[in-house]
Amino acid sequence: MASSANSNPVPKLYKSVIEDVINEVRELFLDEGVDEQVLLELKTLWENKLLQSKAVEGFHTEEQAALQAAQQQQQQQQQQQQQQVQQVQQVQQVTQQAQTQQVILPPQQQQAPQQQVIVQDSKILQHMSATGMSAAATAATLALPTGVTPYQQLITSQGQILQVVRAPNGAQYIIQQPQQQILLQQQMQPGGVQAPVIQQVLAPLQGGLPQQTGVIIQPQQIVLASGNKVQGNTQVMQAAAMAAQAGQAATAQVQQVQQAQGAAAPQAQPQQQAQPQGQPQTQAQQPPMMLQVDGTGDTSSEEDEDEEEEYDEDDDEEKDKDGGEDGQVEEEPLNSGDDVSDEEDQELFDTENVVVCQYDKIHRSKNKWKFHLKDGIMNLNGRDYVFSKAIGDAEW
Amino acid sequence: MAYQLYRNTTLGNSLQESLDELIQTQQITPQLALQVLLQFDKAINTALANRVRNRVNFRGSLNTYRFCDNVWTFVLNDVEFREVTELVKVDKVKIVFSNHGNT
Repeated sequence: MASSANSNPVPKLYKSVIEDVINEVRELFLDEGVDEQVLLELKTLWENKLLQSKAVEGFHTEEQAALQAAQQQQQQQQQQQQQQVQQVQQVQQVTQQAQTQQVILPPQQQQAPQQQVIVQDSKILQHMSATGMSAAATAATLALPTGVTPYQQLITSQGQILQVVRAPNGAQYIIQQPQQQILLQQQMQPGGVQAPVIQQVLAPLQGGLPQQTGVIIQPQQIVLASGNKVQGNTQVMQAAAMAAQAGQAATAQVQQVQQAQGAAAPQAQPQQQAQPQGQPQTQAQQPPMMLQVDGTGDTSSEEDEDEEEEYDEDDDEEKDKDGGEDGQVEEEPLNSGDDVSDEEDQELFDTENVVVCQYDKIHRSKNKWKFHLKDGIMNLNGRDYVFSKAIGDAEW
Repeated sequence: MAYQLYRNTTLGNSLQESLDELIQTQQITPQLALQVLLQFDKAINTALANRVRNRVNFRGSLNTYRFCDNVWTFVLNDVEFREVTELVKVDKVKIVFSNHGNT
């Protein structure tokens, strides 16, 4: 490892833990009749996630280091060539094999202006024919609004072309092409695998790009899409359709994208997307009418006219209130969109700092607390630390 | 029964995510994944108890404290974590530990 002898003990500790766990679990796997290959896959996935989290430094095995070095070399070669078509072909054939994926991001030494981030299969990269994907890619590019130019093409190993497009206002966001999703669904594994891949791809991408990047894709919806082909595709196609229709509303789309990033309910999103633009699609997606027990919008059975007339004056007040409430309901999602941007700022400072430990003694006098802790793992500012003992003071 | 406390760490979360991926591709059963997690709990507890030998001091202001289901959660603000080698400052930190007993 590159670290010095006195450096952070965390990587060594984690690696020893991983080794211990894998070895002890090997028997369990064999008892269940699960192949050793799966165990190795678990280990690989686990280590990759640790590497991606950047909470720990250092590679684990020489094999992984060699693999990563080889893949980085391959990626650099492809970047120099800048041939998107070939990569699309490779991805398609990788998709057909339906193998496990590794999310590998090139180091941030990419060449300006065009960057290509490719998610490759860890095992094989093969050359493929150019027929189907190029046509779909061309169609997808044409489907984009005029003011938007494809900036990057993110290609997952399952052949979904994610186009990172640059809107006129400079914001970038990623559009998933639903057509290709349908085309390739037959060849792909259950959609559940897509979700973590895309999450992994998108999360580092957001950190890597200097400009604001948004995501229209909902990994959850993608899972639904592969299962139902209804809900997820509908939402994605709506997003794509809106992108195609309103080229001027790039700003609104960025808001939608930000709202999409925040974990809003799937049903709320069409409302959020529709309402700022006021498109006809709004009507189909408005929130269900609130039940009114009285008033002119009475949903219950009608009563005597006299009683209704007496309630008229009250109706106006209640209508205003209900209108106000509806307005607030409509406004809350918009306001929550503002909150999402705040959360993004916090996310820039990485995770919430968490310390998980056991305690020796906790003491309090009035509002002065003393902590005697032990055996803890800390994640501060995104990095991991461990301790055998910790002593702290805090005032409440 | 080792504490399941350490599952919500980088190490634990990445393990759980990896297991979930394998379950979704149906390469392992959920039951097996659970066994793996239990094994992880044991391993991490042992490792922390035996392999770590460093001390940390910290100081800050307490924002909230909570004790629920035998688990303490403290939220501290403007905390300085001081180790022999380095100093880490954070605006907000959450400390979680379980009340299973001392030492």
